[in-house]
Amino acid sequence: MDFLHYLVLGFSEALTPTNLLFCFIGALLGTLIGVLPGIGPTATVAILLPVTFFLPPLAALIMLSGIFYGAQYGGSTTAILVNLPGEASAVVTAIDGYQMARKGRAGAALAIAALGSFFAGTVATIGLAVAGPTLSSFALSFGPAEYVSLCIFGLLAATILAHGSVIKAIGMVCLGLVLGMVGIDVSSGATRLTFGSTELYDGIDFVVIAVGLFGVAEIASNLEFKETRGILQSTIGRLWPTKQEFKESWGAVLRGTAVGTILGVLPGGGATLSAFSAYSVEKKISRTPEKFGHGAIAGVAGPESANNAGAQASFIPLLTLGIPSNSIMAMMLGAMTIHGITPGPSVIHNQPGLFWGLIASMWLGNAMLLIINLPLIGIWVRLLKVPYRLLYPAILLFCCIGVYSVNNRGFDVALVILFGVLGYVLRKAKCEAGPLLLGFVLGPLLETNLRRALLLSQGDPLVFFERPISAVLLIVTAGMLLTLILPAIRKSRKEAFEASED
Amino acid sequence: MSNSGSKNRDYPDILAGSLMIGLGALGLWAGRDLTFGSAAMMGAGYLPDVICGLLIAIGAFVLMKAVGKAYEPIGETNVKPLIILVAAIGGFAVMAETLGFVIATIWLLVIGSLADQESRWKEIVISSVVLTAFGALVFIYGLGVQMPILPF
Repeated sequence: MDFLHYLVLGFSEALTPTNLLFCFIGALLGTLIGVLPGIGPTATVAILLPVTFFLPPLAALIMLSGIFYGAQYGGSTTAILVNLPGEASAVVTAIDGYQMARKGRAGAALAIAALGSFFAGTVATIGLAVAGPTLSSFALSFGPAEYVSLCIFGLLAATILAHGSVIKAIGMVCLGLVLGMVGIDVSSGATRLTFGSTELYDGIDFVVIAVGLFGVAEIASNLEFKETRGILQSTIGRLWPTKQEFKESWGAVLRGTAVGTILGVLPGGGATLSAFSAYSVEKKISRTPEKFGHGAIAGVAGPESANNAGAQASFIPLLTLGIPSNSIMAMMLGAMTIHGITPGPSVIHNQPGLFWGLIASMWLGNAMLLIINLPLIGIWVRLLKVPYRLLYPAILLFCCIGVYSVNNRGFDVALVILFGVLGYVLRKAKCEAGPLLLGFVLGPLLETNLRRALLLSQGDPLVFFERPISAVLLIVTAGMLLTLILPAIRKSRKEAFEASED
Repeated sequence: MSNSGSKNRDYPDILAGSLMIGLGALGLWAGRDLTFGSAAMMGAGYLPDVICGLLIAIGAFVLMKAVGKAYEPIGETNVKPLIILVAAIGGFAVMAETLGFVIATIWLLVIGSLADQESRWKEIVISSVVLTAFGALVFIYGLGVQMPILPF
């Protein structure tokens, strides 16, 4: 009964005109950037983060999450129509989706993608509603030692499950942790790593790092070479799938949803990993695997459901434990902190309206996306023709004003340059910036709890193994690291990610 | 890993390793005056030093392995757009507080637009005027960002 009560509370929060409006804006913006190549959801959330200062907390979170899951819908549109995945998570959709488009079945592919995503989004939202209270009441018993282990588990698992070199990703986590220490040390009052600059006493602002690494660096690498665009399949065809197509895809939708929901919860998981895993699952169990790559509808239905379920499910660890599982969730954490909310198990109890309102809005947003995407598909297709040279000055302006508005000073804008250059160099060095951001947001939590735990144990590191939950987390982390050293697993991990390297 | 010929080098990894070592060393140097303390009573410098040390170790490991790895180039690089962007944003940062929104934004947009080799003057002028007006209305008047509009 409690559950129903909270659901009613959630919908009454989400259905206020303001929140509905921002849900719609978020979903619309998400679709837009999903369709437009060259701007990802991470960069967009980074750029819009400062704007959310001016909104009420719930409306801000609703809009930012709308951008995230909206981008998963929009990304598939371009993947199917022009063989150009707008988002990394839509890379696999392009394989079979574009082939379907070439056969004149683009409409059916788009419809299945949207319907599958809606179904998956609904299931994952229910999953969040069910798992949320359970997980968070479990986490309420966590002491400092558990938090340290949880942070370490979250950070390392994220580097292992994300693609690219693990050791370099761990290096990026360390760099993020160091950046998080800049400013005045809360325990001793000493200023750390500020290079004598008084402007850095409050630390580096999250928005500065996010906009530099994901906004400016992305523009700089997009502009390096002339843009290339795929050829648009002119006919979209009948939208409604045939009976046969429905029959072939419903199983894939169910399996994709399951894969996405489970993988989305894991640190480093989320939309992209879910989509790739779902595709390989479909190909493996299919009776006609030779059809994959030549327009198999299951190859669209599975990954599309999975990426949306994964996107939705990655909110679970953030909202219940306060641990972000990927860089977008790190941004959400940043947004919550801006509004004075400490993400973690207490949010559900202290601010039930916020938690349940956000969940209810996700379902509403998914329903809106169905309408935004299917009947209005023609508009999005036309938008694909807007050249990047007209687009990026606007992005640049949003970046600069946004960063300036955080503290109303030019210093932060100048600091963005530093992180923009760093982000560019990291791309050249094939280092992922995501782990850096995770390290940066989790750094303070990790440090405070580590100090507390070791103070209580008088410097005895065994404390992390004496508490059962903490010990289990550390053992799982160690196990994951060990398996990486085994050559067989390393090889299959490499193969799994090879396809995703674009 | 097995064939470690002298020509086999993974340049992105060499860059990554050097970057980590450099930044780790910079962190150690910047935090040289902080008290280290002990595990039970950590000083302000304890974790920065430990993690910078870790960063340097990881960087050294990546660098060492990179020398033996199969050849991989950095890839085609064109830093011109980046340099132009730095100039554009830098100008905005310097001018925003003193010369005001209009001048800073026009500098940002006009210089920034040059970063694209396909940019055309007519488009730059139109988009700069439109975006400056839009930005002033939405951010300064609408959202109340504290930035002067004009220098006087």
